[in-house]
Amino acid sequence: MNDDTPVRATGLIKYFGNARAVNGVSLSVPKGSIYGVLGPNGAGKTTTLRMLLGILDPDSGERTLLGHTKPREAGNRVGYLPEERGLYPAMKAREAIAFMGALRGLDWNEGRTRADAMLETAGLGHAAHNKIRKLSKGMAQLVQLLGSIVHRPELIVLDEPFSGLDPVNQENLEKLILAERARGATILFSTHVMGHAERMCDRLSIIAKGQVRFEGTVDDARSTLPMRAHYVPCSGIEAVGALLPSGAERSESGWRFTVPDGGAETLLMKLIQNGHGIAGLTMERPSLHDAFVKIVGMTAAEAAEALV
Amino acid sequence: MNHTFNQIIVIARRDFMAVVATPTFLLFLLAPFFMLGISVASGFGGAYLAKSSVTKRQMVVIADPSRSAVIDASEAALRERLYGDEKGPSILKIVAPKSDVDAQQKALLADKTTDVTAVLHGPFAAPTISYQKGEARNARFLAMLAEDVLRSERIGGAPGASLSKAVLTEVVQNVPTKSRQQRTGFYAVVVVFILTLMLASQAVGMMAEEKSNKVLEILAAAVPLEAVFFGKLIGLFGVALLFVAFWGTLAAFGASFVPASLGLAAFAPTIGLVPFVILGACYFTMAFMLLGAVFLGIGAQASTMREIQMLSLPITIIQMAMFGLASAAASNPDTTIALVAEIFPFSSPFAMAARGATDPALWPHLLALAWQALWVGLTIWFAARLFRAGVLNSGGGFWAAFARRPAKNAA
Repeated sequence: MNDDTPVRATGLIKYFGNARAVNGVSLSVPKGSIYGVLGPNGAGKTTTLRMLLGILDPDSGERTLLGHTKPREAGNRVGYLPEERGLYPAMKAREAIAFMGALRGLDWNEGRTRADAMLETAGLGHAAHNKIRKLSKGMAQLVQLLGSIVHRPELIVLDEPFSGLDPVNQENLEKLILAERARGATILFSTHVMGHAERMCDRLSIIAKGQVRFEGTVDDARSTLPMRAHYVPCSGIEAVGALLPSGAERSESGWRFTVPDGGAETLLMKLIQNGHGIAGLTMERPSLHDAFVKIVGMTAAEAAEALV
Repeated sequence: MNHTFNQIIVIARRDFMAVVATPTFLLFLLAPFFMLGISVASGFGGAYLAKSSVTKRQMVVIADPSRSAVIDASEAALRERLYGDEKGPSILKIVAPKSDVDAQQKALLADKTTDVTAVLHGPFAAPTISYQKGEARNARFLAMLAEDVLRSERIGGAPGASLSKAVLTEVVQNVPTKSRQQRTGFYAVVVVFILTLMLASQAVGMMAEEKSNKVLEILAAAVPLEAVFFGKLIGLFGVALLFVAFWGTLAAFGASFVPASLGLAAFAPTIGLVPFVILGACYFTMAFMLLGAVFLGIGAQASTMREIQMLSLPITIIQMAMFGLASAAASNPDTTIALVAEIFPFSSPFAMAARGATDPALWPHLLALAWQALWVGLTIWFAARLFRAGVLNSGGGFWAAFARRPAKNAA
């Protein structure tokens, strides 16, 4: 039992046929955190989550879910939103939420009461008695998310929760996830949209081709790339080029270059001493997207395709 | 264990309500009424056709009208003697002879407005009988009629009077005969089979629907797949019980109007009627669970209605084979074929229901119910495993999924 680490996996391996879909994934999710599993399409994120939850059995490796080596034993303390959204079309929204709660051990009537309150808070109070088939895709997806948390789980696992949602619903979902974290729940979600991970994750794993390529905080991930600077000289732009580190690129108003090891101070002193002055200087932190592309080892074109 | 049981009930309750709380369930429940209605309408139509056909079909006797009384009386007596309550040959018409009897006879047979099957003319001691192809029975009847008319005229007395008057007495046996027991066993096979076929086959579409709704992963994440399958079976069984209770009540009500001679006395199970009905209910439960589990497993492999239909045909053929096997067991108790049918899990509920009619021992039933329950569990396990291998894509192909052992601490 380790109460501080609700989810722990060591060397998970899963074969589909002869293909090794997950190849030795290890990760630890701290209690009360929002933990992201990032990766391009087909990286093995869903299979990893399914193994952690006990939907699939790993071919080798160990996993612990809320202190249980058999994940199903922790079933009632876990909420799960699968990647493939599914609800019974003929069920009413509040019934669907109550049903999902009942599967996790919540009394059906209590589930209905909670469903009404949750739907009201999520701005879907008017749809409580509507059948699922009459809801929009975004509304149905929110209903499903509410169903996966109605029993107030300690651990919430969300597989690509933002896919298919419009920006307004994405924001609503982000608020909902943050509220759950504030309640004390641990959130583990997979995504290939960097923006959500960058805004929400306390820690993350980046998976590619079934392997964990990075594990740490968002800042740690960004730190895998050096800082970039955008420098605008007082004198002519062309004359400065020779003094800048190799690989510096021209921009419209100046130069963009990677900050050398040890910082930019020495370089800036040299530029001033040579009379170029500083008309403008912006230090640019690498984005998580940039770090992701570097960690996964993709070309820009591959990244654009894989992150769709 | 208790937790899994609760989850099974949650799934069963959802599925039960999803079927029962819809207008289509009312149609399903009342479907036998429509079937009865169609049967009654067909019966009336058939009866009308038969009646009109009977009135059009005639045998004709060309004779002097003064002999009509004796001919009619002899015909009635002959029909009674030969056919009793059964339907005899065509109705009889007596016509007066014309000048050319041969031509009259030919004209009668050629008449398009009536269907004259046979014509008798000439002296009754040596009558000439002409008949249409395939109507020799009517011709023979007319020949016997001529003999009876002459006999009646010669011995005198009332027309059609017979010389001997027999007394017929029906003997009702209070002790059940072997053939009645076997017939009762066969009825049990038919009832359990038809109910199972009608009610359990819904399971095929249920899993395919679940897959198209994409709800299965939610269920599989919260509940062991075996429990999902079992919950669905229980839910469907609830629907089946509702159906059986509704029609059972109506049938019991209807049976109270049936004369005692035609009622329950016609059934003669060795173990007694009430235990026989209880056993029948138990075997219906087992047959439903067994076939329902097979249907669920097959439905879980299908993705489209076309696939379901493709899979349904071989299932129906196998079911009919099970019915045939169980029927043979009912007709030949205490034979090897009966033993095979009683042991083979998918024919066992039907064959054992029939056994209740001929064998007074109860212990084979307890053994059979335990054996069948074991197979219900095995079938559900197999169906869940198949689903996990094929649909959740646990990898390694079908046989690998069965052979593979999970990692050390895998659930």
